[in-house]
Formats: sequence, structure tokens, C-alpha cells
Amino acid sequence: MTTAAEVVSAPAPRVRPSLLAFVRRHVLTVYSLLVFAYLLLPIVVVVLFSFNSPKGRFNVVWNHFTLDNWVNWDAVSGIRSSIELSLEIAAIASLAATALGTLIALALVRYRFRGRGATNMLIFLPMASPEIVLGASLLTLFLSVNAQLGFWTITIAHVMFCISYVVVTVRARLIGFDRHLEEAAMDLGANEWTTFRKVTLPLLAPAILSALLLCFALSVDDFVITNFNSGATVTFPLFVWGAARVATPPQINVIGTAIFAIALTVMIVNVAVQMGRSRKGTTA
Amino acid sequence: MGFIHRHRWLTPYLLLVPGLAWLALFFVVPLGFLAHQSLEVQNPIDYSYAFKWAWHNYSDAISTYEPQLVRSFEYAAIATALALVLSYPLAYWIAFRGGRWKNVLLLFIIGPFFVTYLIRTLAWETILSDNSFVVSTLKHIGILGPNDRLLQTSTAVVAGITYNFLPFMALPLYVSLEQIDPRLVEAAKDLYASSAKAFLKVTLPLSLPGIFAGTLLTFIPAAGDFINAQLLGTSDQYMIGNVIQSRFLELTDYPTAAALSFILMAIILAVVLIYARALGTEKLTG
Amino acid sequence: MTVPGLAAEVARGGVHLPKGVDPKRLKKTLVFSNWPLYIDYNTKKHTHPTLDLFTKQYGVKVKYIEDINQNEPFFGKIQAQLRRGQSIGRDIIVMTDNSRFPALMVKQGWVQKIDKSVIPNIKNLLPALANPAWDPHREHSLPWQSGMTGIGYNAKYTKPVTTVDQLLFDKKLKGKVTLLDSIGDTLPLIVLSNGDDPTKIDDAAFNRALKKIEKAKKAGQIRKFTGNDYIAMFPTGDVWAGFVWSGDMPQITPSTPKARWLIPKSGGTIWTDNMLIPTGGDSYTASVYMNFYYQPKIAALVEDAIFYVCPVKGAGEQIKKIDPAAAKSRLIFPTKEMLKKIYVVDPKALFNPDFQVKWQAMLGA
Repeated sequence: MTTAAEVVSAPAPRVRPSLLAFVRRHVLTVYSLLVFAYLLLPIVVVVLFSFNSPKGRFNVVWNHFTLDNWVNWDAVSGIRSSIELSLEIAAIASLAATALGTLIALALVRYRFRGRGATNMLIFLPMASPEIVLGASLLTLFLSVNAQLGFWTITIAHVMFCISYVVVTVRARLIGFDRHLEEAAMDLGANEWTTFRKVTLPLLAPAILSALLLCFALSVDDFVITNFNSGATVTFPLFVWGAARVATPPQINVIGTAIFAIALTVMIVNVAVQMGRSRKGTTA
Repeated sequence: MGFIHRHRWLTPYLLLVPGLAWLALFFVVPLGFLAHQSLEVQNPIDYSYAFKWAWHNYSDAISTYEPQLVRSFEYAAIATALALVLSYPLAYWIAFRGGRWKNVLLLFIIGPFFVTYLIRTLAWETILSDNSFVVSTLKHIGILGPNDRLLQTSTAVVAGITYNFLPFMALPLYVSLEQIDPRLVEAAKDLYASSAKAFLKVTLPLSLPGIFAGTLLTFIPAAGDFINAQLLGTSDQYMIGNVIQSRFLELTDYPTAAALSFILMAIILAVVLIYARALGTEKLTG
Repeated sequence: MTVPGLAAEVARGGVHLPKGVDPKRLKKTLVFSNWPLYIDYNTKKHTHPTLDLFTKQYGVKVKYIEDINQNEPFFGKIQAQLRRGQSIGRDIIVMTDNSRFPALMVKQGWVQKIDKSVIPNIKNLLPALANPAWDPHREHSLPWQSGMTGIGYNAKYTKPVTTVDQLLFDKKLKGKVTLLDSIGDTLPLIVLSNGDDPTKIDDAAFNRALKKIEKAKKAGQIRKFTGNDYIAMFPTGDVWAGFVWSGDMPQITPSTPKARWLIPKSGGTIWTDNMLIPTGGDSYTASVYMNFYYQPKIAALVEDAIFYVCPVKGAGEQIKKIDPAAAKSRLIFPTKEMLKKIYVVDPKALFNPDFQVKWQAMLGA
């Protein structure tokens, strides 16, 4: 007797190939490739113009090829300190946000408690609010308490908007978590803390790492919220904004390309590791 | 550890407190301050502020900036619709035809967005400038008239917004499409549905959560955006975000800016609620 | 004598150093915020030679930040902290007197007094600039550069644009025109084109000017209202003509060789950018730098790079020695005919809140 599964998975009868069928089969592919081209177009321009030696100081018209911008990437005054600042802030903010967010995620998934709905709302709202409102309201707070706008106000702001993303990322992983491994550990005599340390945390590590990287990326790239809360301090996106009002030096393209390349490499490694893992069949 | 063991019920709260306290202090409280500020009045001589329950700030703001408010939601809606139309086939292609390469193909969507938002938008300025390859070609073909331009128009601004928020639409669409069991589609076809019908009756409804999430994740930030309008448009294209930003940071007219911020949030919330009602799905927070 | 030659002479200490500078009172780093492209720049070495010379003579590093693109947004950024008496992390900032901000900051006490005891070179200040209404005895400021606002155009795409009316209403320029967004720059030029007096702008004159701009806007003539960002629009051909600051020309011409500048037939404006020491800045170190800058030879080095009008007496002669081509520039040395046609904008107009509101409404945000 044939099972339903066999019926469903039996090959469909061969269709007579026709031009229409050919087009229909490939139109989606062509379309998708076109969309990819569209997505990549500005990136190509950014990378290309990082190698441009502009006439005068404006990198808007192609002149000729040079490696000078890459060699002298910090030749523009202020660009180096701005990128260093951005990286510092991102490091601190992503660590703090990941820690705080992971704790929240654990609480939300693993425990029952009163106020779960309100907590969910509180997590969701910052992601749903326009950045401009987040930035402006924080500015109001800082001004009211006479805080000095600068490094720490920026970092505080970044932690604030990153927490929600961490919670969402880690929680997604926790929900799909196979608890059998933890139960097995406890059956073997481990107490809760040891189980957490030796089983849960390592298995959660990829998600926590993803959250950390996501925060880092969001922080380095943030412009709107930072613009409101930076006073006269200049992070890299703020530097780009200022430069864009005058003339964008090619060094901005250089750094943009560099960030892109590094992030892409990290993602590719991540994907490769995942593909390798799924081939070996190790999942939790 | 013993203490925690004995007071088990405390654990979730201990876990929650640090993060939630942070959010309460730096998200909720500031909104309170902003509300307070929205009811202040500014002294035009020395730029100081006085709290006066100035509800008229809200009505004044709406009447003065109605064009920008309307425009913001217009642009955001158009950009969201465009993003949906552009991303859906793409997400479908990766989900159903991607096979082993799904994750790699996703990289192509996410990858470009690792370049700083501002730098990407500046690149569009170069691409769309009057003497660029793109504009010259369009003029050649005849889509653009000889005296037309792309930069500093609403077309450029909407195009910029669409581009910059595309992954926010594409990724949720992909996630929900990827979860659809292809055998369901096959089953529909076995029951004599055409490809188109199978799509409409099976795939599309099942991808609704993705459409819902994608539209919201695109529409909400798009409505509050100002960077595209600033870099690719002129003051005729300015959105409410530009007004809020300039009122806060250039003209220091905090009360108006604060009122506008709340108006923006209120409208967004209203739109989200209506939309959720209409679609019938509300599993936002999961 | 050449520019490098002069620089070398300065480096050898061939410049008279003021007595009485106490090295112990100098800060390690002077933080100097200025407008972009407003100081000498060595494109090969990516340095600012005069700043390096300052460091060499006094051992004070200079953190030079080009973050002032327009007066209004820069002020908006710093005013919150200044209002609370907080430092903004700058020793010197540069703001224009055709905006209301230098006057406002002096009035509010947000800038410190310059230390004249270490600025003997203040005697080199051009007499015409010695007593502005908002700082009558130059207690709080010293001019950095003066400049003119006129019409810049790209001869590659258009014939000379000699009048404001041509700029605003010549159909051939439709959509290729930029105006400056600051009221102190654009308003007086329009007022002049209506035959009114820019040094005394009353309501009627203001409304006439505004009407004119609105008309041009409606016709689609004006592409954008800009700050410094008009500069990048010339090489791409997005802009063919607009209101341009005189000293920006040497920055525009390398990438737009056919760019030209002129004062409109009805007249232009002249304004002065001023060095100010904000709250929290170090007045001693900043004043020492100002004194350094007010040496004719140093001012000449800066002047040669930026082609604005120098406030330092004697710099003109120095420039003629080191760069005879520059000596012919009408931008650095406006002719008598030009001087007759340029005016200082009415300061009261800048403080008029009604004008402000209407201007902002016109700008659209």
C-alpha cells in the first residue's frame, strides 16, 4: 500500500518543455539577480571611489586610480579619532547590552513570573520607536540632569537601544533549545549552577556571540541617536555626516569598505561554520 | 547559592532587574522628560524655557507641519510597498530555489548593509547625480526628459528609503517563506491547482506573518527617517524627521520638537494597531 | 621668496616672539574648531603647516577639527552645554558676524575674554575691524578672515551670471541654482537686488525679498538651499550657479576649472569670521595662538591657501612677496570698485524673531 508520503513525494509527470515554461522557470532567477545587482550597486561605487584620486578635495567624479587613500587612511584630520571612538564605544556598549539582554532572555523563556506581558512590551517598544524619538528623549534626560554630553552619554544610549535586539536574538535560540542535555547533566548529579555553566552557556554561546556582534555593528553604524547625545564629540558616522556637508574625502570610502570587508568576512566564516556543522550533524 | 535555591521565585526577577532598570531609566524616563518638554514654552529673547501646560504646542505643530507629516507617511508607505514588491520574489527565490546556498545568498542581502548607512546613501548621491552614468542612460532612453534630474527630487528620496530598508523587509519574508513546507504546495498542485493558484491559496497566506513583520519593520523606521531626505532631497522633500532634527539640534526649539516626536509616535502606533487588526495577526512579540 | 621659504624662515625663529609667554601656563593641546578648507593644507603630507609651526615654537599640539559647516547647526550643538556652563571641549571656535551668534554668545557670557597681555600683535588688526558693534573693544574675539558673498557660476554650462535677477529668473538656469540657507548671506543680496538698503532692513524690505525668493522657488529655479555643501555640487554639474563665498573659489576651481566669481551688479556683502574662546576653553593658550596668527608672515601663509580677505595688516605685502600670482587676486585684495559695492548686513535683522520665523518657514523645516 502506498503511503500518503510516497504519493506526495512521487515525481510529477514530465511536462512537455516549452518556451513559456523555460521563461517562467528562469524569470525568477533573472529577477533575483537583478535585485542583487541593485543591492550591490552603491557598494561597488563606495569601494571603487575609495581608490579614486580626486581632483581637488571632492570625491564625486572619477579621476584616476590610486592606492594613496588606503595607505594614508588617517590623513584626514579627525577621521582616526572618530573611528577609534566608535570602536571603543561599540565594544563597551555591546558587552554591557549582551550581558543585560541575555539575562532578560533567560528570565523570559525559562521562568514564569508576573508582569511578563509588560516586560515584553518594554522590550519591544524601543525597537518600534523611531530612532529620532529615542535620541531626542535621551537628550532631554541628559540635559535635565546636567550631564556632560560625550563618550558616556553615547555609550549609555547605545546600550539602551541594543538590549532589545539581544533579547530577541538570544530568546529565539533559547526557545529552540533542547532541554534533554541539561536534564541529562542533572541526572548525572550536576547542580543547577554547574549545569548552567557547563551545558547551557556553551550551547547558548553562538547566540550570545551573534547578539554581541549585532550590537557591535548597530553601535558602530548608529548615527541618529548618537547625533543627539554626543555634544561636540565625534564618532565615525558623525564624522561622515559632517564631511558629507562639505566634501567627502576618499578616506571615508576606505573605512566604509574596510568595515564592510571585516563584517562580511565574519559573516562568511559564520556561515561556513554553520554549513560545516550541519553536514556533520551536530546541533542542539 | 543556597539563598537563591530557597527563594526560587526571586530568580527571574533578579535576572530581569538589571536590564529592565536600564530600559526604564534610559527609555521610559526620558519619554517622560520629553513629554514635560513638549508642554513648555520658549522665551524668544534668551532661549530659556518655562513649563506652562502648553497643549497648544501640539495643535500648532500639527497645523504648521502638516505637509511634512503627511509626506513622511506617504513616502514611508510607498517605500514599504516598493520594498515588498522588490523583496518578495527575491525572498521566495532564495527560500524555494536556494537549496544548500540559502545562507550564502542571504549574505548578499545583508552584506551591503554592513557599509555605514550614511556612506551608502552618499553613494546614491554619486550614482544619481546629473552627469552620472545612470542619469545619462535614462535620459538617452527617454525615461527622463533633457531637463529633468533625479537628485533633489522625491523620487530619489523614496528610492533611497526603499533601498536602505530593503533587508528589513526581505529577511522576515525569507524567514516565514523558508518555513513553509514545500509539500503543501505540491499537494495543492496535485489537487489540480495551477502554479498561480497554489501560490495565492497556499504560499501567500502562509507567508503573511513574514509580510506583517516585514512591513512593520520597514514602515516604522522609514516614517521617522530624515537622512535620505537631507542627502538626496531638498526642503520640499523634508519629512517630519528633518523637522524634529532641525528643531532639536539647529534651532533649539525643544517644545515643538518634543511635541512632534510624540505626534509621530502616536500616528505610528495607530497605524500599527489598525494594520494588526486588519491582518488579524498580532503575534508581534512572540 | 616662496611659501616654503617663508615657512623655513619662520621655523628658524626669524619671527619675533613675544616676551612674557609663560610656558607653564600653556595647555598641552589646543583644540581648535573651524570651518572646512579654511586654513593652509599640505596635500602631500596631509598637514597644516602653520599649525605645525605653532607647535614647533610653543610645544603646544593643535587638535584641529573642521566641524563648523554652518553657524546655526554648530551653535545648536553646543548651546545646550554652554547654557549650563559646561565646557564644550574647545579652546577656539570660529563664528560669523552675519549670524546672530557671536553677539549672542558675548551677551550671554558664553565666551571668555581674550588675554591681551599675550597678544601684542593685536596692533596688526585692520582698523576697519577693530570696533564691531557686538564687541566694541575686541575683548572677546579676534577676526580670523573676512569674506564676501557673491555669485559663483560655472562658465562651462552658462554665460556669466551678473545679476541676482538673472540667477533667480533666467529659465536656462532652472533647477541648477543654489542659494545659501543662512539669512545673513542670502537676505542682503536679495534686498540689494530690490534696490533696498541691506544695512537697514525693515519689514517691507524683508517681505519684498522673501516674495522674490518664493517666486523663484515656485518656478523650480532653486535646486537647494545649502551651507558649505554647494561646493561638492559644482564638479558633478548638479549646480551651475549660486551664492558662493569668495574664498571658496580656490577649492572649487581645481575640480571645476571654469568656475568664476563676481559681485552681483546690485551689490554683495562682506562678513567676518571671528575666533571666540567658549566656556571651558583655555584663554591663555588660545590667546597665544591668536597672537601667533596675527604675525603678518603667518597670516600670509594661511591667506595664500584660502583666498579670503585677511584682517592682519602687513599680510598683504607678505603675500605679494611669496606668491605674486596671489597678489593679483581680487578675492584677497578687493578693488576699490568692489569695496564700494559690498555691505555689512543689518545686525538687527539677524535678531528679529519675526524674520527668523518667516525665513525658517521659507526654508521649509
